Amino acid sequence: MLALAALAAVVLNGRSTSGATHRVNVVPAAAHSHAGNPYPLHITTVVGSSIPAKQYGNELSKQQGSATEDSATPGATPGAPITPVSPSAFAGPTAAYRAWAEHWAATLAGEVPRLRSALATGTRAPAEREWQLAYSDYLHLGAVYGLLPGTLDEQIDGMPHALPGPGAPAPSFSGLHRIEMGLWTGARPASLVPWAARLEHDVGTLQRVLPTVQIDPLDYATRAHEILEDAQRDLLSGTDVPWSGAGVLGTAAGVAATDEVISTLTPLLEARDSTLLDVNNWLDRLQHVLDQLRAAHGGSWPSLGQLDLTQREELDGTVAGALGPLSQVPGSLETTPAPVIPKLSQAK
Amino acid sequence: MTPVDRRAFLTRSAAAISIGGVGAAVGATLAPDAPASTPKSGAAADGLTPDLAERVPFDGVHQAGVLTPRQDQSTFVGLDSIAPSQDVLFGALEALSATARTLTQGDRVAVTRIDDPPPDSGLLGPVNQPDSLTVTIAFGPSLFDDRYGLAGKRPHHLTTMPAFAHDELDPYRTGGDVLVQICAGQRDTVVHTYRELMRAVAGSLVIRWTIDGFQSAQRGPSPKSSRRNLFAFRDGTGNPDVTDAGLMNQLIWVQPGAGEPEWAVGGTYLVARTIRMHVEFWDRVGMLEQEQMIGRDRVIGAPLGGTNEFQDPAYGLDPKGKRIPLDAHIRLANPRTAATNDQRILRRGYNYHRGIDSAGDLDQGLMFIAFNQNPERQYATIQNRLGPEPMTDYITPVGGGYFFAPPGSRGATDWVGSGLA
Repeated sequence: MLALAALAAVVLNGRSTSGATHRVNVVPAAAHSHAGNPYPLHITTVVGSSIPAKQYGNELSKQQGSATEDSATPGATPGAPITPVSPSAFAGPTAAYRAWAEHWAATLAGEVPRLRSALATGTRAPAEREWQLAYSDYLHLGAVYGLLPGTLDEQIDGMPHALPGPGAPAPSFSGLHRIEMGLWTGARPASLVPWAARLEHDVGTLQRVLPTVQIDPLDYATRAHEILEDAQRDLLSGTDVPWSGAGVLGTAAGVAATDEVISTLTPLLEARDSTLLDVNNWLDRLQHVLDQLRAAHGGSWPSLGQLDLTQREELDGTVAGALGPLSQVPGSLETTPAPVIPKLSQAK
Repeated sequence: MTPVDRRAFLTRSAAAISIGGVGAAVGATLAPDAPASTPKSGAAADGLTPDLAERVPFDGVHQAGVLTPRQDQSTFVGLDSIAPSQDVLFGALEALSATARTLTQGDRVAVTRIDDPPPDSGLLGPVNQPDSLTVTIAFGPSLFDDRYGLAGKRPHHLTTMPAFAHDELDPYRTGGDVLVQICAGQRDTVVHTYRELMRAVAGSLVIRWTIDGFQSAQRGPSPKSSRRNLFAFRDGTGNPDVTDAGLMNQLIWVQPGAGEPEWAVGGTYLVARTIRMHVEFWDRVGMLEQEQMIGRDRVIGAPLGGTNEFQDPAYGLDPKGKRIPLDAHIRLANPRTAATNDQRILRRGYNYHRGIDSAGDLDQGLMFIAFNQNPERQYATIQNRLGPEPMTDYITPVGGGYFFAPPGSRGATDWVGSGLA
């Protein structure tokens, strides 16, 4: 599957030999969704390597063979070592991302009072729309929500995990999903106003702490794929949006955050390898799929349940494809050489 | 296991038919001292699936399926009781044991009148060969609530499994009044047993959750090499030696004088954990990082820096975690100190794969099964220690439960759990 993803990326590369710095146009995904073999024969190399595509399996097994022989020295990896990036090179990108996060926190802070008013007026549909906006705003923070102090992320975006069974959630369950649960399970909208008030308070805290959040270089590079991995695991599966089914909306917000991470890292990635081109091609293709889904549903994000099989496959498959090159980003931007693992004393 | 020569088995089966007449069970004709002559390696010379005649006793001091070498295939079933009374419940449990005994020992499928439903589904043909089948029966804490008057019999440490850090337990995949573990060499043997057991308890025990497991093939380099889990690492290397009876009495079997109800002595606690492994995520992790999360070399299974799977990781020589990180899985799970020795557990888990999730990702993982004498002292202590391990990002525990596997049935008229009566 990874091989397929890599080959598919090659196809897109093949359509554009222009520079690695800007996005290229892609063929609409639907154009190759049902072809028997969507990958033309002019594929030359496997993405991220100089391995000829037709030798992919052979090269791979050679590498695996050499890994076996090297197993007495775990940590040895085949391929040329790459020069570590200086951690200080991340100062610019993380500062830029912090500004982005602060912008979205401010947007969220403006949105929550509108959600609160909509709840207070008691009409469900407008309240649901405001909730979707607020949820999307928060997910735009992407790369920082794992770094927030204490339980702040949990207070804003937590789920009632490990319920003993159907029934009342734990009292600590609050935030966006507490409101989601109420809105989509028939609670009176006005009864949810106190949760919106609490959310307003927590978002205020968020705005105050964001300027102090430390973003570690390696963590930041890892966010390039982790945001979308989280979206795949928690949003597209419906796990974190069991009531609203807002998995597509959430994924779109995650893609926007990922775009921002990649855009801030572009100066670093340009100097490295072909990762950036692959990443941008896939992000464009993914954005295109999302745009089409939205257009097909009258300009608003469909719930997971509204996707038909073809749409579902298109979205899931493109996310999975994008994750391949995205997961190459941290490796391309290593700040330290691989550690040498000491030998275990044979006497023991 | 007590191997039975297949030809002898079939000959005896034929003899039993002529003596006992139509429908006679032949389990009784399988002498316990049957010759151990079944070849263990390669395909059978006659082209038939080998080892189907391997037989594991059902009755005994302890239940089978605990210390029994892990068979290749398994199914786990969490059952809830809808029996209206204690009598009906006990009847169902007795039927569970009786059916399990018959199938584990092998029997000939009875022939009945042509218009009656056959008493056996016949999935395995005219003879149910034992195929190393074991059926292990265990009880969940909910069986000891106020429904059946069993509260006073509850094993001391049998509590509802707590939600550990990072657990996302699905109530529909967690718990159950009764757990049945079915293990055998072949998948069809397990499926047949499952079907016959459920038929025997219909109307009293209903299926709450179920999952199928498989063991990776023995691919060496040695016959002792541990099999791989779905993260591709060898799993079970550090298990205690099941042939050491003294050690099993220290770690696995409930002992007299430990404050447990008398009927529980000789039993063991079964911890079941359905652990989803996010394999696509895992496959995007660098090899070095994978190995540092586990603490072992992926290919040979040696502790990092070592050369052989069963080598002691010698943590004492690596106090700062330069060779094996301090938060590596093997280091947190078993620090190998005098103080943690009595926390060791016997792992007997199975890989599972059950299609895809709703986002199109592979739904694969580990049906983690551990046997221990006291889950508070052992399993829970280990699991709480594992809380901060980096591997938690790649797994999600979604189900399972704490269960108690009583001592074995004492003979053809006894049943597992008769101590409750």
